[in-house]
Amino acid sequence: MRDNTLKYLLVLPAVLVVFATAIWPLIEAARLSFTVGRLNRPGSLEQYLGWENYLWAFFEEPAFWNSVWVTAVYTILTVGLTTIFALGLALLLAPGGRLRSSAQTLLILPFAMSPALIGVSFRFMFNPEFGLFDAFFGVLIPPLADVSWLADPQLALAVVVMADVWGWIPFLTLVLIGGLASVPRDTIEAAQVDGASGWRVFKDVTLPQLAPVLAVVIILKSIFSLKTFDQVFMLTNGGPGTATQTLSHYIYFNGMKYGQIGYSASVAWLMVIPMIFLTYAYAKFVFRKADQ
Amino acid sequence: MTGKQKKQLFGAIQTVLILIAMFIMLVPIVWIFLAAFKSHVDVYQLKLFFTPTLENFGIVFDDPYRLGEKLLNSTIVAFVTIVFAIPIATLAAYSFSRFSMRGETLMLVTILATQFVPAVVIILPFFVMFRDVGLLDTRLGLILVNLAIVMPFAIWMIKGFIDGIPMDTEEAAMVDGSSRLQVIRNIVLPMAAPGLLTSAIFCFIIAWNEFLFALILTNKEAVTLPIGLALFKGEEGDLWNLLSAAGIIIMAPMFVLALMIRKYFVQGMTMGAVR
Repeated sequence: MRDNTLKYLLVLPAVLVVFATAIWPLIEAARLSFTVGRLNRPGSLEQYLGWENYLWAFFEEPAFWNSVWVTAVYTILTVGLTTIFALGLALLLAPGGRLRSSAQTLLILPFAMSPALIGVSFRFMFNPEFGLFDAFFGVLIPPLADVSWLADPQLALAVVVMADVWGWIPFLTLVLIGGLASVPRDTIEAAQVDGASGWRVFKDVTLPQLAPVLAVVIILKSIFSLKTFDQVFMLTNGGPGTATQTLSHYIYFNGMKYGQIGYSASVAWLMVIPMIFLTYAYAKFVFRKADQ
Repeated sequence: MTGKQKKQLFGAIQTVLILIAMFIMLVPIVWIFLAAFKSHVDVYQLKLFFTPTLENFGIVFDDPYRLGEKLLNSTIVAFVTIVFAIPIATLAAYSFSRFSMRGETLMLVTILATQFVPAVVIILPFFVMFRDVGLLDTRLGLILVNLAIVMPFAIWMIKGFIDGIPMDTEEAAMVDGSSRLQVIRNIVLPMAAPGLLTSAIFCFIIAWNEFLFALILTNKEAVTLPIGLALFKGEEGDLWNLLSAAGIIIMAPMFVLALMIRKYFVQGMTMGAVR
């Protein structure tokens, strides 16, 4: 067989799978978003009502805006905190040596943990009676000694953020260590010979060189933060009330618990829009690398 | 303070910071490990010293929890997912790596982009369709949707490995009269084998930890381990000793697998954006 035909045949199965498992659901979700779409009402999945579901979300549903707000706060906090801590840890661990490389190996562990299990473990750690972190914070910050973390709207969100940051720091650290390894040693040494302070070397030499990797890390983390579901479901199930209800959780609840599949599909599509921009930005980095 | 003393102090501070970071990283994991060996009395107290017991591991496999069934489901689903995904991804990755095609960039970006589609968007139409064709609560249904999350990683990761194999051997074999498919079977596959295994393990971990699809699609027969965690709720709240024992069964095998492929973890997750 000629390579010219073969090359398309080789990618065909993969393209079909990706189409069936990702593109088709996207299109079908878009169609559903324009229907009445009640799970328990036969025929309503073909009953079209235009943009009504979207208008409903925008103008009639404070719970939708609440989940947008929660997701925004959650994303900003987790992306910011994870990046800062991971950068610090990467700088600490990058030089190598025995202690540092065993630390790097341990970093793999939280990342191999199921996010659902991370949620469970943090619920355990913040249990008011026998939670280890709960006790720890109680000793460290006395006003927090008697609070029930997961029963308080703000503190519950803080716990969800902490669980996410805990789960993602290791991965981001490993990526940044990889990035630091590609910063040329001689540039740093030259700057040191010129008498630049540690902070100056970091700010003027390391950071600019690290910028592309940092950008990739921030984009990737933003995407995963926006999608967050598993930990939230296991940790707080959106509560107390709707204080930690992220968009994914809101969509799940409306679609699966209330059977409003049409409405939840419209919210799901609203969530896809920021993803398109982020993916575009991410793809630019991937192909910039590939061209080199 | 002299320069040398300053340097020593700085080094000591760094060591302390590293130890603190490792401590924070490990505490939640270690705590689960300890809780899994505590009796149901000890687990409800902040105890570091206790008489370890193995009874929790027995209870979780018994009625009514039957964690063994969930373990079997998780293993079959994750395994069959990679059995489908890896060969399909390998063929595509070879083609993407060695040929230039019309629409290649578009295809690659689309495959990359599907990884970023929220799982909750994908699952709504699949739930409706599976309900109509009777695939709800089956392993087959779960395997089909798991392909959605595993395929993009597999294609990009394997493409990275094949990109690293020099083309000379392939060209020499072609000159000697081998066909392209023979070259793929006899030269590329053996050379890419470690990479394929790495990718398979990476995808296995992802499929094993998958939560949202299994939560929505299964309720009794095809329930996987992460969903099984929800079982351990008694009338008086969470049964932490049992939850922890189940937690160990979920995470310990993944720790072993992850440590096996630790060098490639970053590459796999970032799909080629960071090398």
